Amino acid sequence: EDQRESETVNTELLAHRRRLVDEWNAWRARCKKERAEQTGQEGAHEKKKEDDKEEIE
Amino acid sequence: MRPILLQGHERSLTQIKFNREGDLLFSCSKDHVMNVWYTHNGERLGTYDANNGTVWTVDVDSESQFMVSGAADNTLRLWNVATGKCLFTWEFPTAVKRVAFSEDDKQVVCITEQRMGHQCAIRVFNINRSGDGTKQSKEPVHMFNPIGSKATVCAFTAQPNIIVTGHESGKVALFNVKTGEEIDNNERAHSDVVTDLQLSPDKTYCITSSKDKSARIHDTKTLMVIKTFTTETPLNSAALAPNRPYVLLGGGQEAMNVTTTSLRQGKFETRFWHKVFEEEVGRVKGHFGPINTIAVHPKGTCYASGGEDGFVRVHHFDDSYFKTELYGDLQIED
Repeated sequence: EDQRESETVNTELLAHRRRLVDEWNAWRARCKKERAEQTGQEGAHEKKKEDDKEEIE
Repeated sequence: MRPILLQGHERSLTQIKFNREGDLLFSCSKDHVMNVWYTHNGERLGTYDANNGTVWTVDVDSESQFMVSGAADNTLRLWNVATGKCLFTWEFPTAVKRVAFSEDDKQVVCITEQRMGHQCAIRVFNINRSGDGTKQSKEPVHMFNPIGSKATVCAFTAQPNIIVTGHESGKVALFNVKTGEEIDNNERAHSDVVTDLQLSPDKTYCITSSKDKSARIHDTKTLMVIKTFTTETPLNSAALAPNRPYVLLGGGQEAMNVTTTSLRQGKFETRFWHKVFEEEVGRVKGHFGPINTIAVHPKGTCYASGGEDGFVRVHHFDDSYFKTELYGDLQIED
């Protein structure tokens, strides 16, 4: 029973962490997109390429 | 992790900074001098000596050509990194507490202290990069006095003419340097003095540390608090580890506030926190006093800490640091 309980806790924790990572990654993607759009607007095409490269990494 | 002890300062460290390549580490101290060190072996490359007071702050441009320093002798100085020569000196009525280069190296922002009837001021100078750097304009291109609580830390953001600042009250704000207008603020970002502010490589977020014992990650555009790291000691510095999901925090109770010695042990450690899960994952010991400043190599291969004890410690990360997946295979964007 104890084992089952700890497994439930682990699953919950894992789900919680996955959610945190998803939220973080979604926010990062939004930031990077906005940043790319901004540098694009400034007409710095060279810069945009660099940013794109960074995203691939 | 093999630490390298950098011995070259006689008093406490105030700020340390890597250049863009990360091969050089710059340090400034209350002993009036600045040093530059080779990151890989800790050998001292040179000393910058001209200031007549505590050097509070230092920054180096992206080409490692020019360096700026701010000091308690009320000066902002421009230096030639390679020759160690002081190229230009700007003088103010009060001490310079923080300096930072813009991304294009063409401007420098500085904060001067509020003291003796003088308000805290933020000035932006254009840096003339042509010639030998000795021909600079004495007058700032922008200057303003931030309303309310005085600013303690600042940096240029990715948006033109907008700086992010941390304040004595714990406020974090965005200012337009052209107009001096406070564009946005978070009055309750911290409940005590903001002690450090470092930006992510793409400048879309920043981390602040505070005497309120916490560090926070903010969205640089909206000032929204994204993450909070709460410790049990006042923090002096916070840094982001590139390519790994960690933040590094340093601080410690000041000696004058410590009544028992037994509790001091273990307080002067660099704390590693998981930046997404807000959980402490490790500590690195070494300093004999509070940690005043932390910097991480731009490629994330090593980090350095400067202490109240007058030492700089450089730690090159082991392979295990890069391989360990503490929380499974979740992919975290930098």
